[in-house]
Amino acid sequence: MTTEPARILVWDGAVRLVHWLMVALVPLLWWTAEQGYMDWHKRLGLTMFGLVLFRLLWGLFGSWTARFAPMMRRIGSLSSYLGKLRRREPGATFGHSPLAVLSVFALLIVLVAQVTTGLFSVDVDGLESGPLAIMVSFETGRQFAEVHEFNFNLLAALIVLHIVAIAIYRFVLKEKLVGAMVTGRRSRSDFSEAHLPDNRPRKYTMMIAALLSVACVIVISN
Amino acid sequence: MRRCKSKIIVPLLASLALLSACGQNTETDMDSQLAAVELPNGMTVKEQIEARQGHLKKIGKAFKSISDQLKADSPDLARIQAAAALVPKEAEGMADWFPEGTGSESGVKTDALPVIWKNKSDFNDKVLAMQEAAAGLDTVAQSGDVATIATAFQATGGKCKDCHDKYREDD
Repeated sequence: MTTEPARILVWDGAVRLVHWLMVALVPLLWWTAEQGYMDWHKRLGLTMFGLVLFRLLWGLFGSWTARFAPMMRRIGSLSSYLGKLRRREPGATFGHSPLAVLSVFALLIVLVAQVTTGLFSVDVDGLESGPLAIMVSFETGRQFAEVHEFNFNLLAALIVLHIVAIAIYRFVLKEKLVGAMVTGRRSRSDFSEAHLPDNRPRKYTMMIAALLSVACVIVISN
Repeated sequence: MRRCKSKIIVPLLASLALLSACGQNTETDMDSQLAAVELPNGMTVKEQIEARQGHLKKIGKAFKSISDQLKADSPDLARIQAAAALVPKEAEGMADWFPEGTGSESGVKTDALPVIWKNKSDFNDKVLAMQEAAAGLDTVAQSGDVATIATAFQATGGKCKDCHDKYREDD
């Protein structure tokens, strides 16, 4: 006789670690840039680059809730999900809801733009520059820096939207989302589906993706 | 019906365009008056601001090429030397680039803060310190030792920042 485990894995360890490291890094990156601590800004920025790269790889090869392909398929049920939201009965989604998929994609696109422009940015004095700025002229590097600065506002706006959405789920729709991002798990009975996809992360894939990301960061920083 | 609509819309749009053009004109007229004031050195305010921005941009460009080479595995000494020689030349007469009236009150876009003209002697001291550091960087660059160049480059950059932190609008 087999019994369903009471709590099941929604967010694997890699997703959670990347998520919370980003939560710590974004304010630190903002602060070091504002204060002009550019050595730290560059170190932390490269760390962020590695995290974004890993998350993209994990979106291709990771566990089911981390992968982009199932997320894209979820967008198909966006309008029916919005209908459920309007009736204030969204119910728990295993992984990202159709609306959350849009949010994740927007955040990732803006993060990719942010770390990429940072690599090529040059400050107004020509004294500080990103690790790949050597490949571009002073003028082009300045344009990268302008985009880098503007794009941060988009990132900040999306983060605010993300937090507001979580608060609305918590207080209006009575759905607690933060706990699962901390522990990774939710009660099996929260989900109405009879069968849930296999969400186990593959350990060796995770290690290869992590090593690849670290290798990329090392190559860029030298 | 269609004709009727366009009959109303066209004059409406035309008068709106006229109105907004009027508003713009009075504003730019005032600004361009201040910007066109001739300074004792013969340049207009606008010309002076643009000239100093041109020099400073060239210095920024030179700094980037030095910093690029210092970061490279095998720095190209000739490029460092060319850039280091350019900086003192571009920085020549810097204290005179900021006559009264060339702040943002002129309507010309500038990051030069009004506090420059309140502390003109401190400002000039800082300019002089930068020029001395740049001359030192040039001398060291021509000698050809990369480690010494890196130190002198850091020192010169520091002198730029001394002034920018206090006298330039935050970027």
